Amino acid sequence: MKKTGVFTSSVNRRTFVQGAAALGGAAALGVRPGFAQEPAKPSEIIVRAWGGSWVDSLKAGVSDPFTAKTGIAVRHDLTEDNEIQPKVWAAVAQGRVPPIHINWDTTTNATKSALRGVTEDLSDLPNLKNTTDLAKPVGLDGYPIVNTYGYVYVLAYRPEAFPNGAPKSWKDLLDPKFKGRLAFYNDGIGFHFPAQVAGGGKLEDIPANMQPAWDFITQIKAQQPLLGEDPDFTTWFQRGEIDAACTISTNAREARKNGVDIAWTVPEEGCKFDTDGLWIPKGLPENELYWAKEYINFALTPEAQQVWLDGLGLPGVVPGVNPPADLVNDPSYPTKPEDFEHLIRISSKVQVENESDWFAKFKSIMQG
Amino acid sequence: MDAVEAVAATLWPARFGKAIPYLLLLPAILLVGLLVLGLVEIADSSLRTLDTSTFLPSDYRTLANYERALTEGLFRTVATRSLLGAVIVTVLTLILAFPYAYLMVRTRSAGLRKLLLIALFLPFFIGQVVRAYGWLIVLGNQGMVNEALGLIGVAPLRLLYNYPAVLFGLIQYMLPFAVLMLAPAMTAIPEELESAAQSLGANWVRTMFHVVLPLVKPGLVGAGLVVLTLSLTDFAMPAILGGGSQDFIANAIYDQFFRTSDQGLGSTLALLLVAVGSILAGLVFMIFGAGTLASRGARR
Repeated sequence: MKKTGVFTSSVNRRTFVQGAAALGGAAALGVRPGFAQEPAKPSEIIVRAWGGSWVDSLKAGVSDPFTAKTGIAVRHDLTEDNEIQPKVWAAVAQGRVPPIHINWDTTTNATKSALRGVTEDLSDLPNLKNTTDLAKPVGLDGYPIVNTYGYVYVLAYRPEAFPNGAPKSWKDLLDPKFKGRLAFYNDGIGFHFPAQVAGGGKLEDIPANMQPAWDFITQIKAQQPLLGEDPDFTTWFQRGEIDAACTISTNAREARKNGVDIAWTVPEEGCKFDTDGLWIPKGLPENELYWAKEYINFALTPEAQQVWLDGLGLPGVVPGVNPPADLVNDPSYPTKPEDFEHLIRISSKVQVENESDWFAKFKSIMQG
Repeated sequence: MDAVEAVAATLWPARFGKAIPYLLLLPAILLVGLLVLGLVEIADSSLRTLDTSTFLPSDYRTLANYERALTEGLFRTVATRSLLGAVIVTVLTLILAFPYAYLMVRTRSAGLRKLLLIALFLPFFIGQVVRAYGWLIVLGNQGMVNEALGLIGVAPLRLLYNYPAVLFGLIQYMLPFAVLMLAPAMTAIPEELESAAQSLGANWVRTMFHVVLPLVKPGLVGAGLVVLTLSLTDFAMPAILGGGSQDFIANAIYDQFFRTSDQGLGSTLALLLVAVGSILAGLVFMIFGAGTLASRGARR
């Protein structure tokens, strides 16, 4: 997989300097030893990312240090994950070079790409040996994707709207005073599983019988909630449009950093816990594939994880990464086994196979 | 000069003259041809279902996607909302555009005409998405309207994220299109005709209904058709002003392509939308005649 020809043909000053830089970079990354194994560096690699604090954190923790160590610029493509997916799929199907080198993606979406066969195998990344089980995608052979952290879809709320303290149950949102003041993702992601419990159902019945979830979501629909994407939640909280939302804790934390009075909790029915990961589409030139792998390998180092995930406020996959001061013992930052007791994890396989139906059902209820 | 003509006659003999109209049609044929090619691809995709074990389209062809599109409640709801919305937006836009265009064409004040023209063209320099976000700022809970209402003691009203908000945004977006299509039709009506009607005893209302409206019909039909089809296929206004619960067909198509990765069902919905739009346009031509949009046809 490693291209060595560039170093054996004509060694001039420039290639010597490039090689030396590559050697230094690789040594710093602690990955691929050996001068002859370093393929030519691309001028840049393109990493698809989410915007706002998400990309800022990635840049600070991974991209900038990677550039400093290798000399390879990192460009962040902020195309939505759902929109880049068909572009990558089409490029691979047509034998074209994909539009990105690395996709920062939800594990569920990434699993779809892995099942479709458009992902490179990442099993040979040296830093994988230092990761926890969370890094390994469940139900897939090898490492077509590498999970890089976990996150919780918390119940975020404005304390002013809950004078008696944090809501204890998702059912508290059915109070008539919250009519038109709630928000969920527009496909219901993050809320299907807690709704199953709040509706009186069991998690073991997923996916065979999710009627309790649909019944509870129907009750929520009567509250006329707003439906949106990550940036909407922050905006809505900032503009006082909503009192509570089911959203990723990172968005709530970002709103709090922006001066919004906001808190979050994990209600008694639990919250969905999921992972995001990094993967590389097939079809890259070999040298670019090599450096794309180096980028992901670097993202798995403790120092990269510490800075990146401090920004996101999320638990990583490398032991020894410390939570940011404001999230110590926070339910959205599980670190110990008991922290996971109220968090709901459903296998990627079940999610991938049924997600389309769940989205359609949620939409059907909300659009009715 | 004779030499030039001789060269021209050699390069383009007179008998080729009959081909000129067809050559002029060539760009249109190319454009339509490309669209048809795309539609053929989409039609093929619409006959393939998604295999969620591989996330690849099926090898075989089936009408299952069409069955889903025509029987599932979600798509019926979204289609009904889109069609009803398009009709409401068309009617209200034409009602608002007519006096605007009339005033713009007939006013004797150059200043007023310029003002109306600027007000008409200004929105074209601001994209649809930016305008929609502008309404979020104006109509939000902490927006200008609610702040003004607060000054007279009215509690904040939920003005956004509902069906009326989407229709309002669409009307505001469509108004310039309608005015631009009505204005030439109105300009083509000689002002003397109105003077003649009034000198024969018709008051302003009768003149408007019996002289201006019949003559401006081609413009009304053209504007109506444009507004109807653009509203029917709109994506941004329902997405931004609807709060996620007021989807139109375009939003449902987006969901299939980009949210559930079901390109087959997305293609099916896209084709059905093209079919509905074409049928509506066909109905308009059936009712008003294919020559309606040409001024010559209008005066028959």
